Amino acid sequence: MHITGMLHGAKLLGYVGFPTAEVLGPEADEQQIQALIDRYGSVFVKPVFRGGVGKKGKAGLIGRASDLKTALREKERLFFAEHQHGHAYAKAQGVTFEGAVPADHEVYFSITDSTVFRAPTMTLTHHGGVAIEDVNKAHIAHIPFEALTGLKAFVVANALEDIGAPLEIISPLVQQLPKLWELFHHYGMTTLELNPIRMSPGPNGRLIPIACDFKGGFDQDDPRWQRLDLPDRVFASDVSDFELEINRLRTYQGQSDVYVINPNGTILAPTFGGGANSLVSEVLGQDAIISSDFGGNPPYEKMREVARICYKHWLKQTNVLFIIGGKANNTDIFETCRAMADALRDHFSQHGPTPLYVVIGRGGPNLIRGMGAFAETLDALRLPYRMFGFDSAISEVVNYAQAVERWMKDGGRQEIARMLGIEDGR
Amino acid sequence: MYKTGISAFPYFVGIGSLAQIATPGDRVCVLNILGKESRQVTPVSHAFSRGNIVFGTSPGRRGDVLPTAIGDIPVFDSVREGLDAGHSFNTGVVYLPPAGVRDGVAELVRVNPELRKVIIITEKVSVHDSREIRAIGQSNGIDLFGANCLGVADSWNQIRIGGALGGDHPEESLRRGSVAVYSNSGNFTTTIAQYLGMAGWGTTTLISSGKDVYIHFAVREFAHALTNDTRSKAAVLYVEPGGYYEQTVDFTKPVVACVVGRWKARLTRAVGHAGAMAGHGDDAEAKEGWFKEALGVDQIFTPDTPVVSPKGAVVVNIAHIPLALTAVMRQNGIDPDFDPIGDLSLKCWFANNQGLGLPPHLDHQPVEALAPYNDQIAILKRQIGRTMPRQSMKDCSGATRMDAQTQITSVHGYSVLDLAKLPLEANFALPLVHEIADENDRILLDVAVAGEINLVGDPILVAADAARDAGNAPNAVMAASASIVGPKRMERALAATHRLIELFAHSGLTDPRDEAFDHSGVAIDEATKALFMADPDDPSERPSAMIQAVRRRGGRSVFLTLLESWGGRPSRDGVLAAIATSIAWRPLLRKRISRLTAGTLPWYLRLYGVLIGATIPGERHKRGSLWGVSREERFSAWTVTDFAFLAMTGKKPTEAEARPLQVLIGLLISNGPGAISAQGAKGAVSADGPQTPERVQINKAMVGFLTHTGYSHGGNGYEGMDFLLETFKNTGLTDPANPDHGIDLKGLARGFAETYKQDKTRAKELGLDGPRALPGVHHPVFRNKPVNHDPRERFIAAFMAERGDYNIFHQYYLALVQALYECGASPYVFCVNIDAVIASLLLALLWKDFKSGRLNERDLERAAFTIFLYGRMIGAAAEIDDHINRGRNMDTRTPVSKCSFVS
Repeated sequence: MHITGMLHGAKLLGYVGFPTAEVLGPEADEQQIQALIDRYGSVFVKPVFRGGVGKKGKAGLIGRASDLKTALREKERLFFAEHQHGHAYAKAQGVTFEGAVPADHEVYFSITDSTVFRAPTMTLTHHGGVAIEDVNKAHIAHIPFEALTGLKAFVVANALEDIGAPLEIISPLVQQLPKLWELFHHYGMTTLELNPIRMSPGPNGRLIPIACDFKGGFDQDDPRWQRLDLPDRVFASDVSDFELEINRLRTYQGQSDVYVINPNGTILAPTFGGGANSLVSEVLGQDAIISSDFGGNPPYEKMREVARICYKHWLKQTNVLFIIGGKANNTDIFETCRAMADALRDHFSQHGPTPLYVVIGRGGPNLIRGMGAFAETLDALRLPYRMFGFDSAISEVVNYAQAVERWMKDGGRQEIARMLGIEDGR
Repeated sequence: MYKTGISAFPYFVGIGSLAQIATPGDRVCVLNILGKESRQVTPVSHAFSRGNIVFGTSPGRRGDVLPTAIGDIPVFDSVREGLDAGHSFNTGVVYLPPAGVRDGVAELVRVNPELRKVIIITEKVSVHDSREIRAIGQSNGIDLFGANCLGVADSWNQIRIGGALGGDHPEESLRRGSVAVYSNSGNFTTTIAQYLGMAGWGTTTLISSGKDVYIHFAVREFAHALTNDTRSKAAVLYVEPGGYYEQTVDFTKPVVACVVGRWKARLTRAVGHAGAMAGHGDDAEAKEGWFKEALGVDQIFTPDTPVVSPKGAVVVNIAHIPLALTAVMRQNGIDPDFDPIGDLSLKCWFANNQGLGLPPHLDHQPVEALAPYNDQIAILKRQIGRTMPRQSMKDCSGATRMDAQTQITSVHGYSVLDLAKLPLEANFALPLVHEIADENDRILLDVAVAGEINLVGDPILVAADAARDAGNAPNAVMAASASIVGPKRMERALAATHRLIELFAHSGLTDPRDEAFDHSGVAIDEATKALFMADPDDPSERPSAMIQAVRRRGGRSVFLTLLESWGGRPSRDGVLAAIATSIAWRPLLRKRISRLTAGTLPWYLRLYGVLIGATIPGERHKRGSLWGVSREERFSAWTVTDFAFLAMTGKKPTEAEARPLQVLIGLLISNGPGAISAQGAKGAVSADGPQTPERVQINKAMVGFLTHTGYSHGGNGYEGMDFLLETFKNTGLTDPANPDHGIDLKGLARGFAETYKQDKTRAKELGLDGPRALPGVHHPVFRNKPVNHDPRERFIAAFMAERGDYNIFHQYYLALVQALYECGASPYVFCVNIDAVIASLLLALLWKDFKSGRLNERDLERAAFTIFLYGRMIGAAAEIDDHINRGRNMDTRTPVSKCSFVS
C-alpha cells in the first residue's frame, strides 16, 4: 500500500501542517494552470501513478513547463504514461501540475523502520533532489530514535550538525521535520520519504522547507491509515478482482494474503504459512497461478470461502490442484481439507466437473482424517489424486506436481475429461 | 533509556546462551489463554513441558480453568490478579488479538518485575505497535520473540513455550540432539526438525523467530547464544528476504543456512510474512551472498553440487538441509546424533487413478505410512463405502443435473445422450452404483429383473390388474404394484445383502467376478446361511433357475458360488442379495457409493422387475411362462430391453426394434431434480426422514415418482405421435424405417405449413388464439438464430446416421421446420426438439402393429406413457437413493414465507 506524488501527498502533509508545493490535479483547467505558472514562473508536470512507483525522473517522466502550451503538451505526453520499474509495471492515470519552488538547497528526508537499528530511523541529507543511493555517504545521517518519545527536534539538529548542513537550513528543518513523525507514526505508515524538500525563502527571508515530492508506505494491518480518509482507489493499484475478493476475508485470525503470479498458470496451489508459500512459489515459478498464504489454522468457514473464491476464479484453467505445506503445528488438517473438499464438491455441483488432478503434501494435526475426507470427495468426483506424507520432501512433492502438470498438458487433461464424460470447456 | 544487557550488543539482549531460551525453570503466564488458538495449543505445551504454565488471563473469566492432561491451568481477569493470587512467572506468552498485543506486553512489563521474556504468537500486529513493543522491551530489559511466531522449544529439556512447535505431538519432532534451529517460518521450524531427524540429527533449541518487519531475537543474537551453548554443535537457519538481520553475522559453529524467496523480488506487496519484502540490497540473492561469504562457500549446495566448507553451507531448498548438514559435519569429524530414521523420498499415502492409465513416473503406489499414521490409515480403510454430508436437498440433487444451456441432463456424470446409446440393462444399475454396468453385471441384472417380472400368484398382480381395470393410466397401475413391495417383503433380501457386505468387507475380495477367491477365511455361521436358503415349505424352483441362467449366460459371481457351495435350495431373496452385492461390490470398495446404497440395491432391482411386470396384463402371467415365453428362455436369453418391448407389444424385439427403444428410454431417464417426477420421489423420501435411512420406504418413494407423472408429464409423448398419425394415416406408409418409402415429405410438409399459416393468419384477424402449438417443433432455449437446432436432436440424428438407421417421421419433422420458415409461418427455422425425436422413434416402433390393427390409438398412448415411465424409473431411483444418502428430514418443505395465498 503505497502513495507516490503530491496529489495525495500534499493533503497528508497538510494534516500535520508541513508546507508543500502548490498542486493541481488532473482536472485542472487551463486558467488554473496558467495562474499557477504565473505565480511560480514554471510548473512541474508529473504523471499520477497508483501504488509505489519510483524512478520517474530517471525515466524522463517529469516534465517542466513555463508556458501553458508546453504544460498542455506535457500533460498529453504523460497523462497515460507507462513505466516499467524493476519487475513492476505502472500506467499513469492523469497528471499533476506542481508549482516550481525556487530554492538554493534541496533536502532528502525519510523515516522508516530500520532492521539494522531495529528502531524507527531518520535518514537526512542536505544534498537531496537525487536518488539517495547517489549521495555521498558522508553527507547522509541515519539516526535511529526512540519510538515511545518520537522524532525530537534535537535529533534533527544533531543530525544536521553531524553532516555539516548549512546553518541557514538547520533551524527551519528542526522546527518542521519533527511534525512528520506525527504523520508517520499515527497514521499507520511504514515509510515516509520527502525528496526534495526545497528550502524556499519566505516573506521575511527565512527559509521554509517545502515538500515537492512524496512517497508513503502504509501498513495494511494497521487501521490507523483509515483516519486519513483516502479514496479507496488510491490503494487499488494492482489488485485483481480475485485478490479483492480474498482480501475481504482478512482478519487477524488467519491472514489471507494472495498475489496473482501468472493469470495464465495451470497449477492452483493454495499454501498455508509463509514458509511454505515462499518455498512452493519459488519452485513452481510461472506454473503457479497464485502465491498465497492463508495463514495457520484457518477456521472451516473461512477456508471453505477461500477455496470457493479460488475455484471460482481459477479452477477452469487449472490442471493440478496442489495443496501443500510442511508439517503443520496447529493447523487442523481435517478442518482445512474438509473445507477445501466441500468447496470443490460445491463447485462441481454448480459449474459441472472440470478435468483436474489433485496433489496433496501435508503434515499436522488430524492429518489422516483430513486426507481421508479429501480422498473420499475426490473419489466421489472421480478425480485422480496422490497424497504424500510429511516425510516426503516438500520440494519432491512440488516436482511431482509439476510432472503431473506436464502430463496434463500432454494429453492427460483430455484423458480425464473423457473419463468424466465432459467436453473440456477450457 | 535502554537497559544494559550483554555488552556485545548496542541494544539490550539478555539471553546469552541457547540453553536459556526455554528452560525447565521458566514459569509462564499466557495472555488470552482461552482464545481459540491458545485453547488448542496451550494444553499440549503445558503437558509436554511438565506443567510450566502457572496461570493465564482472559478478562471477565476469572475462576475459569483451561483443562490439560496434567491438570487445570487457572484463569484470571488480569496479570495483577494472578500475581496477587500468589503466582509468579518470568515469561509471558501473548495470544491476544493484534490490537491488544502492545497493551498486553505493557501489562506484563508493568506489573511483573520478574519478567524476563515475552513470546508473541499473534500475527498481523501492526508495525506501529511492534516498534513501541520493541521500545518497551528495550527500556525494561525484556527479551522478545515474535510476533507472528510459533514460540521456542528445547528438545533436551522437552520444554515448549508459546506456540505449537512440533504440533499436537511435539515429541515426534523435538528429538534430543546437537543442532540448533532458527527459522523465520514457524511451520518450517518443525518441518526442518522433522527432516533432520530422518537423517539422524536431533535438536537442542528451536526458535521460530517470526518474519514481521521487527524481529526482536534475530540471527545476530542467535549466533551469540549458539556460541555459548555447549550442547549445540551446529545450527540450521531458515531465512527469507527482507531486512538486514543476517548481514555480517559471525558464526563460531557450523551453520547450514537455507535462503528461500528469490521469486519474491517480483512482488509489489507482502504475501504471508509481512517482513519478507526486500528493499534495496536485502533480497534473497543478497542474503545468499552474505551467508556464502560468512560460511566460506562460493556456490549453493545441492545434491548435484555438494559445496560445503567446515563452516557450513547455503541451500535454497529445505529438503537439502539434512544432506548439507551431514556433509558439513563430516568435514568437522562429527557424526549424526543417531541412526537415520528414514529419508525424504516421495511416500504416497493415498492414491487413486480413477481408472486412468498413468505413466509409470506418476503412478506412485501407496506405501505404508510411518507410525502412528499407518494405524490411522488402516482404520480409515476399514470404513467401507462413501459417506456424504447431509444437507437440505430441496430442489437439488447429487445424482442428476440439467445443463441450462444445452438442456442435456446427466446422471452421475453420464449424459442421457450417451446413455441413449446403451441398452437398458446397462443403465439399470447406474442410479445406484454410479457406473455403467459391464458385461457381467448386465447378465446379473437381466437375470435379477427376469426373476421378478412374472407376478403370477402374487397379490401384486391382482392390485395391478385392479388398478388397470379401474381405468388408470400406467403410472397408477405401477404405483399400485410398487406399494406392495414394502419393507417387510424386502427384509430378508436386505439383511442378506448387509451380511454379505459385512462378511467380505475386509476379506481382500476386490473383484466379485473372481470365483476362485479363497473365502475360507470368512467365517459364516448357520444363521447367516439360513438367511440365504429357501424355507422348507417354499417349493419355488425360480432361485435355482436364476443361478443356472447366470451360469448359462457366462456370468460370474463369487457370492453365487458361495451359495452354491452350501448345497440345498437357495431362496429368491438370497439369490437377489448375492446378485446385488456382486453388482455393488467394486463401486463400494472404490467409495463411489455408500454402504447404504449397496445395501438397498435389491429393493430397487425387485422394484424394476415388478414395475415392468405390472405393465404386462394379468392374463399374460402364467406359471412357468410369461406371455408365452418360458421361464428357461426368459432367464437364459432375454434382456431387460426385451421385457420392456414385450410389455408393450407382446413380443420380443428384433435388433432393429430394440435400438430405438433403448434410445428412447435413455433419453427419458431424467430431466434433473426440478422435474415433477423427481420432485415426487424426493418429497416421498423427505417425508419419511432420510436421517433415519432405514425407515425410508423405497417402494413408497417410487410411488411418489409415479404419482408425480401423468397425462401432461409423461403422457404427452402421445401428442407428437397423434400429430404424426394425422399426417401419415392416409399416405400408405408401411415401413417407417425404409428410406424408399415413395412419399413426398417436402410436399407433405409444405402443404401442412401453408394450411398452418392460413390458420394462424385467420386466427390473428379474428383475435382468436392461434392454431395449437406444434408438438416437437421449437424450443424456448434453442431459438432466435436463422437456423436452430436442439443439440439433443442433433446427437440422436448423428447416432442414427452413423448406424444407418432411417426414420421417416424424423425426416418429416426436419422438412416441416424448413417449410414453416419458407412459407413465412415462422420467423426463422425452428428447431426440431427432443420431443419430436421421441414421438418419431416411438411411432416408428409401433407403426406396423398399429397398421395391422394389433394396437389401437389408445394402446399407442399407453405405450408412449409406459416407455416414459421405464426411463424415468431409472432417474427416479437415482433421486431416491441420492436423497436418502444426502438429505435431511422434511427438507423439501417450502417455508411459509415463500408461499402465497391466491383468492
